[in-house]
Amino acid sequence: MDSQSYMPVPPGIGMEENFFSLDDILLSHERLPCRTESAFPRLGFLEKSSETRDIPEGTKMEMPLWLAKGLYERKRRVLSLELPKVYREGWRTVFGADPTVVDLHKMGPYYYGLGSQMLHFDSPENPEIANTILQTFIGRFRRTMDSSQNAYNEDTSALVERLDCLERSLFKAGQSGLNSFQLWEKGRSSHLTASSLVINYRKRKITDLQA
Amino acid sequence: MDPAEVEFLAEKEMVKIIPNFSLDKIYLIGGDLGPFNPGLPVEVPVWLALNLKQRQKCRIVPLEWMDIDRLEEIREQERKLDAFTPIPSPYYMELTKLLLNHAADNIPKADEIRTLVKDIWDTRVAKLRLSADSFISQQEAHAQLDNLTLMEINTTRSFLLDSLNYMYKLRSNLQPGRSQDY
Repeated sequence: MDSQSYMPVPPGIGMEENFFSLDDILLSHERLPCRTESAFPRLGFLEKSSETRDIPEGTKMEMPLWLAKGLYERKRRVLSLELPKVYREGWRTVFGADPTVVDLHKMGPYYYGLGSQMLHFDSPENPEIANTILQTFIGRFRRTMDSSQNAYNEDTSALVERLDCLERSLFKAGQSGLNSFQLWEKGRSSHLTASSLVINYRKRKITDLQA
Repeated sequence: MDPAEVEFLAEKEMVKIIPNFSLDKIYLIGGDLGPFNPGLPVEVPVWLALNLKQRQKCRIVPLEWMDIDRLEEIREQERKLDAFTPIPSPYYMELTKLLLNHAADNIPKADEIRTLVKDIWDTRVAKLRLSADSFISQQEAHAQLDNLTLMEINTTRSFLLDSLNYMYKLRSNLQPGRSQDY
């Protein structure tokens, strides 16, 4: 189970992103509301609601994370970010009260990743955001552990639905541990089976299929 | 680590058998295996015992802890204490599975033994999860668990390590130390 010929690059959690990680690439597509602090000449086509040629100073627009991160600089005020709703005061108290109730997948499937990236933008609320993310993770850990270790051979889509991507990969790790143990107990761990790709694409001899 | 690998390591444990053939002492890299005389008990590793049993060349003597009263005692103690009780063999789960699958006729009351071992396993795994949860929720840096067996550790290893890694990285957000790449 552990020996694969292809190991996908895991997302870099914390303030770094892994360049090759698919999760991080998808994460950086999330749009953030921001406000331009200087004019962008001749880039009017980026902002769909205005018809001017330039983007004047002080426009409110939405930018994907990768663009915002590249343009942000503390000294030359090019951009100023606003925090998305989920990381603001109101939602923070919700997470503080009971983290297990929230549907993290709906709140942006990359809650933890995006939250960690927001810390690059030097907002005064940074320590509270970092703390909230940590406490949310700890609060939801128990439920993720229980559901991943106890759901054997059932449809897990209802359990996985409210988890964010990081928690989903944890869930998968727990499930694979459980499955390999159960398989061993049944005595089928050294049982050779046809690969699912072969069966699905029906790459078997015609004579076998017709039999 | 696969459960199959843990089972492989478990097969090195010694068990008593009574062969029905005779053979002189054999010298293997891992050690010597004593002269085999029909009817006289001899200690061999489990892998050899199972092989001989499958070829019907021996009879396996049940291990001294594989007995209903002893296992019931262990189960009661496991349920009473919060810590893990010391168990007679660090590979109890694997040995139970191997011996009961291949040599059930040599072991009295095999089914009850299987149920008892499963109960002990369930209690221990539940305790392990409880302690993992309290470890994470209190954000401790150290934990010490005595008397855990490799199989139990193996089932929880990948999940626990991944979640501890994530927690560490989320925790490092709290310190505003700049990362390497600008």
